[in-house]
Amino acid sequence: MRLQNLAMPLGLIAVAAFFALRLDRGALFGDEAFVFLGPRNLTQLIVEFSIIGTLALGMFMILLTGQIDLSVGSGVGLIGGVAAVLVFQQDWPAAAAMGAALGVAIMLWTLMGTLIVRQRIPSFIITLGGLLIFKGLFWLVIQNSTVPVSRGDQSNLYSLLTTYYLPTYMGLGLALAVGALLAVIAWHSRAARRRHGLPVRPFGTEFALWIGVSAATLALVIICNHFRGVPLTLIVLSGTAAMVYFLTRHTPFGRYLYAIGGNEEAALLSGVAVNRVLIGAYLLMGVTVALTGFMTTAYSGAATTTVGDLMELDAIAACVIGGTALKGGRGSVGGVIFGALIMTTLLNGMTLLAVAPETKFIARGVVLTLAVWMDVGFGRAKT
Amino acid sequence: MPLLEARGLVKEFPGVVALSRVDFDLHAGEIHALCGENGAGKSTLIKLLAGIHPRGSYEGELRIDGELAAFRGICDAETAGIAVITQEFALVDELSVAENIFLGREPRRGIRIDWLEMHRRAAMLLEDFGLRISSEARVATLGIGQKQLVEIIRAMDKQSRVLVLDEPTAALTETEVAILLDHLRRLRAQGTACIYISHKLEEVLAIADRITVLRDGASVATLAARDASVPLVIKHMVGRELAELFPRRAAPARDEQPGPAPVLSVRHLTVARARGESAFLRDLSFELRAGEVLGFGGLMGAGRTELVMHLFGAWGDRVSGDIRVKGEPYLRPTPRESIARGLILATEDRRRYGLVLEQTVGFNLSLSSLRNLRTAGGRIDQPAEFVRNQHWFDALRVKAPSQNERVGKLSGGNQQKVVLGKALMTQPAVIILDEPTRGIDVGAKVEIYELINQLAVEGKAVILVSSELPELIGMCDRIIMLASGRIGGEFVRGQFSPERLLAAAMAARREAPRGE
Repeated sequence: MRLQNLAMPLGLIAVAAFFALRLDRGALFGDEAFVFLGPRNLTQLIVEFSIIGTLALGMFMILLTGQIDLSVGSGVGLIGGVAAVLVFQQDWPAAAAMGAALGVAIMLWTLMGTLIVRQRIPSFIITLGGLLIFKGLFWLVIQNSTVPVSRGDQSNLYSLLTTYYLPTYMGLGLALAVGALLAVIAWHSRAARRRHGLPVRPFGTEFALWIGVSAATLALVIICNHFRGVPLTLIVLSGTAAMVYFLTRHTPFGRYLYAIGGNEEAALLSGVAVNRVLIGAYLLMGVTVALTGFMTTAYSGAATTTVGDLMELDAIAACVIGGTALKGGRGSVGGVIFGALIMTTLLNGMTLLAVAPETKFIARGVVLTLAVWMDVGFGRAKT
Repeated sequence: MPLLEARGLVKEFPGVVALSRVDFDLHAGEIHALCGENGAGKSTLIKLLAGIHPRGSYEGELRIDGELAAFRGICDAETAGIAVITQEFALVDELSVAENIFLGREPRRGIRIDWLEMHRRAAMLLEDFGLRISSEARVATLGIGQKQLVEIIRAMDKQSRVLVLDEPTAALTETEVAILLDHLRRLRAQGTACIYISHKLEEVLAIADRITVLRDGASVATLAARDASVPLVIKHMVGRELAELFPRRAAPARDEQPGPAPVLSVRHLTVARARGESAFLRDLSFELRAGEVLGFGGLMGAGRTELVMHLFGAWGDRVSGDIRVKGEPYLRPTPRESIARGLILATEDRRRYGLVLEQTVGFNLSLSSLRNLRTAGGRIDQPAEFVRNQHWFDALRVKAPSQNERVGKLSGGNQQKVVLGKALMTQPAVIILDEPTRGIDVGAKVEIYELINQLAVEGKAVILVSSELPELIGMCDRIIMLASGRIGGEFVRGQFSPERLLAAAMAARREAPRGE
């Protein structure tokens, strides 16, 4: 367990160090376009990481139950495309268009979840069908063309998703707010534990932890501020991560996800409304697909036929690299975040190194395979 | 020279000494029983013999025919002629009975599998064991007792020199047990050595030549079975004398005064396995009052588990009849709804239906009660949850380092306690215990019996399903014997006798209707 906890940060540092050494050659925190650890590239990396991370968090809840969703890549394209068409061709306000597309996503994923639990069709099959159907629908919606997310040079809420950066002061304020919030939460949980007569962490440890996390947040903001500021996508990811963390760690719904993945029959006999929980997980997957769809499409500036390609595999890979078990019942939000970071760092670094696309595919595959191999190894060591 | 000899075995896991010093020997043509409480080290010893814990992971010597045995894995142990039948089934659900029996050593004709020969031999073996199932039946469709027998048949047919049976009769009826014991005696006559582990001490005394008792990881005594008695073995096992195995308080005279309305009443209940199939449970009627322990007995396949699973909402399609909980009609039971109405089931198959094995003890304890542990904001009140878990963890004396231990690491009896704790935490009015003492040791059994008494005193209504007649007779106020899905007889305390109960189960079976 302890080794596993260390493996991910070490892996990330190793990957990052490799690219830093290859690319930066001592120009640490320089400002050239192709510096890996420069603020410009780090900001770009954060945007890409936020996009994959958000999708992976939705996938995480699906995998926890032992199910899978192969349709999310096509779904990302479709939902982003629906919103783009509504904005560009139907002249809808961006917020309304995204709201409508989000509704479509929730509907589609609730439908898939319902088919899976009511008809007892394996999720692999249903979502494989979804992959193809959504891809077809996507191309139909955008009529195989390129649909920009805004008209002309105007910016709207949609295009701002990936081009808006928080002003310097707002970023710093946000870091302080996060620090304050964490302090309040820690204080409350300590008080609650004391009320129930449970032991609490020594104050020093708690304080050191808080300082560490707050300092890291602040450092992140400062790095972003060296370029344009904290990207909006990072806020989306952070919000999603906080929400998923809360759901999985602090609510019955999240407990039930783990219980279903660990032993579905036992969960049912323990009074868990298994069907409802599974449909709920797919519904939430739909929400993250929509968020990712908007961000990806905005990031590429327009809905084109390739948006979202293979993203389902990146999301699954991020989860598995982060220690989520494919058979369900095991995984954590922190792990998924690290997994997504490792995946993104790898892709970003290889792009900077101008690695050929074919090599990039192979490298992604190798990393995923290694991660699963380690997952199986750890699983075995535990029993 | 003993066929198998163990000297000074010590096996440690991080933080736990599983075996502290075990000496043990086994001769050809001998049935040697291992007895001990949960966690005494029986399973660890077996895993060592089976090569699951390889050489180097333990201290001490293991000799076969006087040669030092150093198993690297299960294969080595099998080559040395040791076959192990564990409590966890190693059958492939999707394959047929015959395929399972001959898995890995299928009869061949050239490179093809000789299916005819395989099924012919499988049918003979099944016949031998009195199992009336087709050799082509999928294992998934078998009951737990039938699976156990198939597993035993497979191991026996390998013609091993040492056969290790871990709780082989836990899921078997008395007839099946008798057949199994006959086969063991035959193998003994042929020179096979057998290590026999069972919590049923009468059975152990009937079959074994010698008995080795383990306590806290050490072998404390080896007795000749003919000189041993149940109290003597128990004394060695627990290190103290157990005054009484079934501490049921005298039944209060409630026949004269009908008392309050029944908490559970079932009228003319008829249930099919699935919609459109013919009825499996037929015309069952009974009532259950607060403070009462009602027993359900019967032969395997009589419908005991099916009945309680249906009451709880986890099995079958109701054809007709009426269930009332606390006077309210209960039309469409689901486990969730049952728990909300104060009805709870502690399942017989704890590994499959009872527990999420890779999660912690605490996770499992509170799983059914999370709805009562929510804060106003919908969060789980985790400190309160921890305190509540700890209460049951302590009250049931679960033997584990803490409630953060993975439940899969616990011994069978302690896993059972977690299942019970999970059930009791829902604050039920009606508690259904399906084989609550299956495969657990005497000490833990007595604790569970005491718990049942306490629940009845507290005014809970308890349904106890058991295939052990002494347990039913010792614990219940009333016993209903089922057979072929019907009520074969109902008895109140004072009328209990094993002969009567068994007769009721058998009689009803004879009258079982055909082609209705």
